[in-house]
Amino acid sequence: MTVHELRTRHDDSKRGDASDGAIFAEAVGGRLSRVDGPAKITGAAKYAVEQQLEGLSHAVLVESTIAAGRVRSIDTAAAKAAPGVLLVLTPDNAVRLNSATDWLGTPPPDAPYCPLARDITFSGQHVAAVVAETFEQAVAAAALVKVAYDETPAIVDLDDPKAGDGIPIDAMTKEWGDAQAAFAAAPVRICAAYNTPREYQTPMEPHGLIAHWQGDRLTVWEPSQWLDGMARTYAEWFGVPFENVRLVSPYIGGGFGSKAFAYGYGAVAAMAAKMLGRPVKLAVTRPQTFTAYGGRAATRQTVALGADAEGRIQSIVHRGVNETSVDGMWVEPLGSVTSIMYATPNFSSRQNVVRVNTVVPGALRAPGENPSAFGIECAIDELAYEVGIDPLEIRLRNYAEQDPEVKKPWSTRQLREAYAAGAEAFGWSRRTAEPRSMRDGNQLIGWGVAAGTYPVRRAYGEAMVRILADGSVEVESSSIDMGQGTYTILAQTAAEVMGVPAENVVVKLGDSRYARAGVTGGSRLAGVMTGAVHKAATGALDQLVGLAISDPNSPFHALQANTLVVANGRLASPRGDGPEVSIAELLGSVGRSQIEAMGDTTPANWTAEDRYKNNTTIAMALSHTEGDYSRHSWCAHFIEVRVDEDFGTVRVSRVVSALDSGRLYNPKLAESQWKGGIIMGIGQALLEEGIVDRRHGRIINNNLADYLIATNADIPDIEVISVGIPDLHSSVLGGKGVGELGIVGVAPAIANAVFHATGKRVRDLPITLEKLI
Amino acid sequence: MTSKTRIPIQLQINGRRHELEVEPRVTLLDALRDHLGLTGTKKGCDQGQCGACTVHVDGQRVLACLTLAAQAEGRAVTSIEGLAEGDGTLHAVQAAFLEQDAFQCGYCTPGQIMSAVACIREGHAGSDDEIREYMAGNLCRCGAYPHIVAAVRQAALEVASSMETAS
Repeated sequence: MTVHELRTRHDDSKRGDASDGAIFAEAVGGRLSRVDGPAKITGAAKYAVEQQLEGLSHAVLVESTIAAGRVRSIDTAAAKAAPGVLLVLTPDNAVRLNSATDWLGTPPPDAPYCPLARDITFSGQHVAAVVAETFEQAVAAAALVKVAYDETPAIVDLDDPKAGDGIPIDAMTKEWGDAQAAFAAAPVRICAAYNTPREYQTPMEPHGLIAHWQGDRLTVWEPSQWLDGMARTYAEWFGVPFENVRLVSPYIGGGFGSKAFAYGYGAVAAMAAKMLGRPVKLAVTRPQTFTAYGGRAATRQTVALGADAEGRIQSIVHRGVNETSVDGMWVEPLGSVTSIMYATPNFSSRQNVVRVNTVVPGALRAPGENPSAFGIECAIDELAYEVGIDPLEIRLRNYAEQDPEVKKPWSTRQLREAYAAGAEAFGWSRRTAEPRSMRDGNQLIGWGVAAGTYPVRRAYGEAMVRILADGSVEVESSSIDMGQGTYTILAQTAAEVMGVPAENVVVKLGDSRYARAGVTGGSRLAGVMTGAVHKAATGALDQLVGLAISDPNSPFHALQANTLVVANGRLASPRGDGPEVSIAELLGSVGRSQIEAMGDTTPANWTAEDRYKNNTTIAMALSHTEGDYSRHSWCAHFIEVRVDEDFGTVRVSRVVSALDSGRLYNPKLAESQWKGGIIMGIGQALLEEGIVDRRHGRIINNNLADYLIATNADIPDIEVISVGIPDLHSSVLGGKGVGELGIVGVAPAIANAVFHATGKRVRDLPITLEKLI
Repeated sequence: MTSKTRIPIQLQINGRRHELEVEPRVTLLDALRDHLGLTGTKKGCDQGQCGACTVHVDGQRVLACLTLAAQAEGRAVTSIEGLAEGDGTLHAVQAAFLEQDAFQCGYCTPGQIMSAVACIREGHAGSDDEIREYMAGNLCRCGAYPHIVAAVRQAALEVASSMETAS
């Protein structure tokens, strides 16, 4: 069952809160409850790998147990003889695949691709796979595959003596003024190192897929943040036309950056399905999710701030390092917040990447901005204490009135408003400056502040809008909803434009047969797709009104009107004269079964190839500093921690965050996303850390009991305040990014609060008790 | 595994009797999802750590991934599909989850809701702190926790007032 078959019958919150004034919940900006909600709370929502297919077989992966070396041999005899086994896949019998274009649009090397490795570059790499009639049989047989290795020494992590300084990434270098000289000459100087560990996306729905070939056409049911990008990868791997690959992903159980690409296990499943001539399901196990794709790279930064005696920054010198894999490249841009948060006449940021024996790292909520903010937002707090002024005051004193890097005005920057609203709601003025000066019994209380930001990533989009014979409206897009609320805000957008109730709008997403779409990542989808749907719906409405005015069989034909209005699903003359008929009645009288309009925001001169690139790579995306403005979301977090003086345990007891995401398309859902980011940030600050076994280069806490994410009991009430204003330089309807913003700045706000509580600066995440006692 | 190693089992799920023949090692979770097509119960970790597979067995919340299907024989199993009334009227907890926006991606949601129903029935929804503690076994990576607490609080009040009305 898909969402459009389960129209919401619940009419809760049809109207917005009083604070929304006259805004109806169903219009853009209203607090409409999730339209996909009823399917999710009744269990009717079928996620990708839950499709029931005739003849489905089950694949289980076998992973390397060493971090570096070579597979000497694989003994598959016992596995092949095990009950129910259909196929044991190794590099020896794997089908030869092509390498595929990457997400940036880089053409692939002219070399074959094998998702099963002979040369081992990390522990947990896929080396074989077993396919059997049942899941249980495949699990049992996979345990019988015997792999022999020739092991070589591994570089286990950034601290490994063999790791070295890494490779300079020139594209990350940012320089203006003379930062080194200005730092040396500054009256006040601080310099410190800030580290973040490997962190993992851990969406509640593990990755996996069902692959099914019919001739040379492949259907893949797979949770996906990017149907068209992944379809391209599968098509190139198997050498079939792009149009022959269909990706289906009606609901996605969380992604956080991890579900945008086709990974090796997808190639394994699709290959097995091709070899067996029947559908194959491969569900990545929870432990395998730690190595089947990459989490956030471990990072190291040093931040040096030179300031005058009043705390005005004269120079920022920033150096960063992130880990990447032996044979892949991931750059976590560590200078991204450092270079724009504060005004400074002198700046220098450089970054290296270091190759270690790990899976290639990937995107995790606000890649770059998140660790970058941890560095600069802790450092500015340290400077405040060095100078002896309030941590909020020092931020205002160094407020960047324009983008210090590209020297362009901000499109909108409600950060000053965020500081004011957050401080007021939190009661910041009651804070006493001295560390360890606030307590409640044996609990040391600390109040910390930090800011966050995320660029407005913009792209072009397209959408299909249909008006059906019964007067309902259908929106189609191959974009997706992984919980951000795409189904809901696109229904609201179409409802507002078309003048129909939102419950009469059916939004269909998550199928690559629909109007194509680019990646859902970097908080870009809402802005891109509301713009495209707005345009398509406007086109459909124009057709409808045009028909009503001009068709000889229309009841409006004799009216000689220039236009008509549509409200609540009914057409009428704006002058109030003439008839009033429903959309269904009009279509019936003019003999039309439907009206269809494609709408897009793409440049008029684009070719089919440009559109293909737009939907399958990020090569056509627009820079956030393109044109006359620099575009970003902004936020300020105010956080209270309570630290047990004897045990060093840290609890977050209060959070107030004020955020500028521009215009909110649905505040109810945006607030949920902001809070979700803040909660993930609390986990990052206090709990999350991938622990490497230094002997074997393995992640040893590769499960949800040992890799700690925040639980319900770790989280207090959270107050979020919207301070955004519509930003039409950022998107068609005035919104900026929502999803990534909330997490940025949370970890430094907590680290700063812990310092205020205890007098200890913990610059190495997570802030665990042994670092405090 | 030949058919000789399969065992016939009868399961009582959401008031309906199901007969199936499965290997003895099949978990209740896989029996529901793969053999009976009841995919509302989710597999988040398959090792008892996340709570996404929470169902009720004889009214108690259990992790279906740590329960063999055969262990549920002769017991009444309730999954998310069996929570609403036959006419589609939502359980108070379901309605509260929708109203409070107590989920985003929806994948942990069936387990959260089944846990919440039990949490209220156990008498562990007396305060926000108590709700947080007794709902802490159900992980939510989207971070809907404050809204889950609000939904459980709201549903607990509704359940209490409907019980008062009934008595």
